[in-house]
Amino acid sequence: MNELAILTKAMIQERKDIAMAIIGGFIAGIAGVSLFSLSGYLISKTVFAPPLYTLIVLTSLVKILGLLRAASRYAERLYAHRATFSLLSRLRTSFFAKLIPLTPGILGKKRSGELLARIVGDVESLQHYFLRVAYPPIIVVMVFLATVLYTSAFSIWIACLFVVGMLAAAFVVPGLVLLGLRKVHGRVRRQRTVFSTEVTELLYGFRDLKVYGQLNKREEQLQHASSALSEEQQASAVHLLRGQSLHAFVMYLISWGVLVLGAYLIMNGSFAGVFLAMLVMTSLTVFEEAAPMATLPAYKQDSEHAAKRLAETVLAADVQAPQPTAILSGNQAVSLELCGVSFQYEDEWRPALRDVSLHFPAGSKTAIVGPSGSGKTTIIELLLKLRASTSGQIRINDVSIDQLDDASIWQASNVVMQYSHFFRGTIRDNLLLGEERYTDQALSAILDKAQLTNKSLDDAVYEKGENLSDGEKQRIALARAMLRKGRLWFLDEPTSSLDYITERLVFRQLLSQARDDTLILICHRLTGLEEMDRIVVMDHGRIMEAGTYAELMEQKGYFYEMKQIELQMVGEQCEV
Amino acid sequence: MKKKTGLISEQMSAQRKRLVLLGGMSLALGAAIVGQAALLAESVEKIFVQRASFSSVAVILGILLAVMAARTLLSYGNGRIGLRMAASAKTDMRAALLRKLTRASMPAALRGQTGGKVSVALDAVDEADSYFSQYMPRMMEAAVIPILILVVVFTQHMNSGFIMLVTAPFIPIFMILVGLKTKNKSEEKFAQLAEFSGTFLDSLQGLVSLKLFGRARQHEQEIERSSIGYRDATMDILRIAFTNTFMLESIVMLGIGIVALELALQLLIFKSLSFHTAFLILLLAPEFYSLLKNTGTAFHSGRTSMGAIGKVEEMLAGTRDEGAVNPRREDGGITDGISGADRMITANKPGSDDMSLTRMPPIIELRDVRFRYAPDSFELAVGNISFGPGKHIAIVGKSGSGKTTLMHLIAGLLKPSSGEVLVNGTPLMHYDEDSWFGHVSYITQHPYIFAGTFADNIAIGAGRAVSRDDVVQAAAAAGLAAVASELEHGYDTLVGEGGRGLSGGEKQRLALARAFLKRPAVILFDEPTVGLDLQTERVLQQSIALLASKATMITVAHRLYTIRNADNIMFMGDGTLLGCGRHEELLDCLPEYAEMVDAHRKGGFA
Repeated sequence: MNELAILTKAMIQERKDIAMAIIGGFIAGIAGVSLFSLSGYLISKTVFAPPLYTLIVLTSLVKILGLLRAASRYAERLYAHRATFSLLSRLRTSFFAKLIPLTPGILGKKRSGELLARIVGDVESLQHYFLRVAYPPIIVVMVFLATVLYTSAFSIWIACLFVVGMLAAAFVVPGLVLLGLRKVHGRVRRQRTVFSTEVTELLYGFRDLKVYGQLNKREEQLQHASSALSEEQQASAVHLLRGQSLHAFVMYLISWGVLVLGAYLIMNGSFAGVFLAMLVMTSLTVFEEAAPMATLPAYKQDSEHAAKRLAETVLAADVQAPQPTAILSGNQAVSLELCGVSFQYEDEWRPALRDVSLHFPAGSKTAIVGPSGSGKTTIIELLLKLRASTSGQIRINDVSIDQLDDASIWQASNVVMQYSHFFRGTIRDNLLLGEERYTDQALSAILDKAQLTNKSLDDAVYEKGENLSDGEKQRIALARAMLRKGRLWFLDEPTSSLDYITERLVFRQLLSQARDDTLILICHRLTGLEEMDRIVVMDHGRIMEAGTYAELMEQKGYFYEMKQIELQMVGEQCEV
Repeated sequence: MKKKTGLISEQMSAQRKRLVLLGGMSLALGAAIVGQAALLAESVEKIFVQRASFSSVAVILGILLAVMAARTLLSYGNGRIGLRMAASAKTDMRAALLRKLTRASMPAALRGQTGGKVSVALDAVDEADSYFSQYMPRMMEAAVIPILILVVVFTQHMNSGFIMLVTAPFIPIFMILVGLKTKNKSEEKFAQLAEFSGTFLDSLQGLVSLKLFGRARQHEQEIERSSIGYRDATMDILRIAFTNTFMLESIVMLGIGIVALELALQLLIFKSLSFHTAFLILLLAPEFYSLLKNTGTAFHSGRTSMGAIGKVEEMLAGTRDEGAVNPRREDGGITDGISGADRMITANKPGSDDMSLTRMPPIIELRDVRFRYAPDSFELAVGNISFGPGKHIAIVGKSGSGKTTLMHLIAGLLKPSSGEVLVNGTPLMHYDEDSWFGHVSYITQHPYIFAGTFADNIAIGAGRAVSRDDVVQAAAAAGLAAVASELEHGYDTLVGEGGRGLSGGEKQRLALARAFLKRPAVILFDEPTVGLDLQTERVLQQSIALLASKATMITVAHRLYTIRNADNIMFMGDGTLLGCGRHEELLDCLPEYAEMVDAHRKGGFA
């Protein structure tokens, strides 16, 4: 599996820490086993009244082993956790690299934020794979083998018993638990989803449910879903508990077997009685050291699930054509053309664009208008090669978009998306996303142009721009675009949160900078469109009509009617 | 968390039987542990020291196996009780949460909080699990069994007992130290951790922007840098925790070592101890310490759980002052700030007025209605107004002026702080809630589409069993026939969450179809603020006119034609009724009104 390949590669890169962790764990395990075995031997030995010095040697050895065990356990923990966090870092970077070409392609129209959060969570649960799944069995098996080797010096039969115990503790019991868990786990997940969906519905649809008298029925359903969820969760936990109990019983059974076998061998005379207590202690301790095996199945289940989901979302789409070599030159205005283009989002049932043909001559200014969901944004996404059309041809400067290098298109474009992203940092950081370097003076001038006079360059920006108002975000995004040197403008509702006057001021600045460039503007208000060369009206993924403002108004078609409705709007207010 | 919270003690008393059972089983488990050690020691003594014959130890060995099996079963049983306690506690907590959500009130400003509430109902409750399934059984075992072991050891050999008694308190002391130090350190590093941990998600969310700015590749380094930073900050915290664990384990090892040394000395030099006793103590010592050590892990998960339970309690308690934390929102879509004890007081009470007996459409009167969300928030105040049956009222005003709040008051979704809303002369609050809402349709800007079939979503409006024909008719009246034919299973296609998505215009029309099926006597209509597709706009205009012909309609109006056609306009400003009357009247006497109605259109032609 490919996702495990990423994990393995990352683990190989962290081999030093991993090796140290394994060595530490091994020493700790061995020290623990020896410690208790030695105590058993020590006590048995006293029966024969040995000289005092042997006793002193033995007891000091016990203490040294105790300290050695604690110390190597410390080292193991330290290295194992370090390795885990380093793995996380490697996983993040490699998944990020894989996601770069896939975004926004793998993101559907709905809930893209959720998908991303899920990817982050899944990568995070993958990191546990090493700490909880991959390496505990290694240590358990190593400690067991060493014990087997050691006991075989006393009795080959007892050694065989330990081999059986090892197989049961390290493989059979966890395997059984995992099988049981797999059966239940899907159900738990499903019940959780059902419950979460229904609670969300209850909250979002509260007003409708209340008015339609459906609340009681809903609550009943929810109570039912809630107890079903608790039941499934309990069933899953019982599997783990059963595994733990089974592990304990195997431990007792093997210790008991050691006792019985030892008794038999002693009576046969083929085994010295002084070692009996020691081997019983050995058996009890070596299983104690194998305790992490009990929780392993749960983590294995989780990381497998995460890996599978990651494989489905991220790696399945991993078939990438090599990047085409044609470069879009950024020095001249660009012409764009769509020929019979259709597009459908993967998670949608209707096409977002149906057989759209449009030509944007070099240096033209086009506005695209239409109700939400009519496919306006999709056109920009297709032209930017962020998504690939389902059918039809797109040409930029008469070159098919398939032959153009993505990065060169982006390099040549100044883009303001509907929802711009802002990173944690300062206003300056967020303005200087591109490669260009500017002086603070130039940056401040741009802020002025974008009518963002109340902010200074050093003002902090929180994650996702949480501390900025919608209007401020839009103005920063506009300033960011105006700092670019492309000759192609894509503006997706860039001023929807600005008041009318600010909108006009910003727009004037923008149009003067883009005087000779090709510009596509999506807008929700139908004001100020008189200056555009052409207005394209869309509805349900189709072009309803196109023309200049004057032409469309005269035609008295779709645009005219939309305009009439807009004129009826009263009391609308935007941020000032 | 120092004292047990209310929810926990509630659960504890509800589950007292299980707790008693848990105590009894723990006692039995302790007996099994001691018994196992005693039998082990006995058999080794017989085989090794006394050289007894195999047949003479066979019985002991048989009993030993039985005790081992019993021990396994008892500890399994304890685990099962814990799980059962957890399951019923979780079900109870969720039930209480759901009751709170559905009964208590209209949740305030849902939009911002839905995620948080779902996460409390789901994740916080799940986190509470380990308090019952881990912490309680472990603590019970730790409270009972070590004492039992200690008693046995004391009866066998005083000195070992003393060693164990003296070393034991170090374990909880170190546990507490570990907890405190780690907590301090993690608080110290909190900002750093928060910054680093968010970077990956932040970068993924901004990936499109990064791509467009040609920065995606460089950002890989940023992710690596922050991940390594996160690692180092976390390792600093962990190192402290591990060092303390190291100390802890050393103490345990030292304790066992001292016990072993002491036993050997007694055996060899003073000859005051039998092998059997010595071996028994040697077997019991690790059991004793590991039980104490286990409480540490249990304690940790218990703490996390208690935090989660605290969150659940907060939500259960918090609804009352929800209005205070959630500022009023207007035109905000889904459900605006509605809160407070707004449930109709007499709902389902015998003797409450049955709406069906009174005249429909009703006369609606407002009598000095006042409302505020919280003591210090702005107050909505309207004087005395009366709307005749079948009248159409438009509520007009700037955003934030209290339009939606006023509508919710009239609808009975909010309870006035003072004053009354009268329907046919009787206070609205005296009516049975279901019976009142049986006559009301509320067409919001963002109607909620439930997960279910297209037909179900329309039929929800009826409040009664309806035939498919009725549904189809209502859909056709709302201009949805074409949409239904486009869906692959027609009216039986699943829509909403997990099903087919509908456009904003289609959702709006679906709300209309619901209203057509219901044939309400009162229509509450939140007119869309954004232009929808033309088809929806046309359907909306015609359908609303049709529906309103036999109903009293109250509209939060955003369109001039709605306002012009209204029988009565309530012009709101900052929560007060600035004026009331027909369009022309208000134009004449209220300059603010004239200004507002004109302002936008002037802008459009500028």
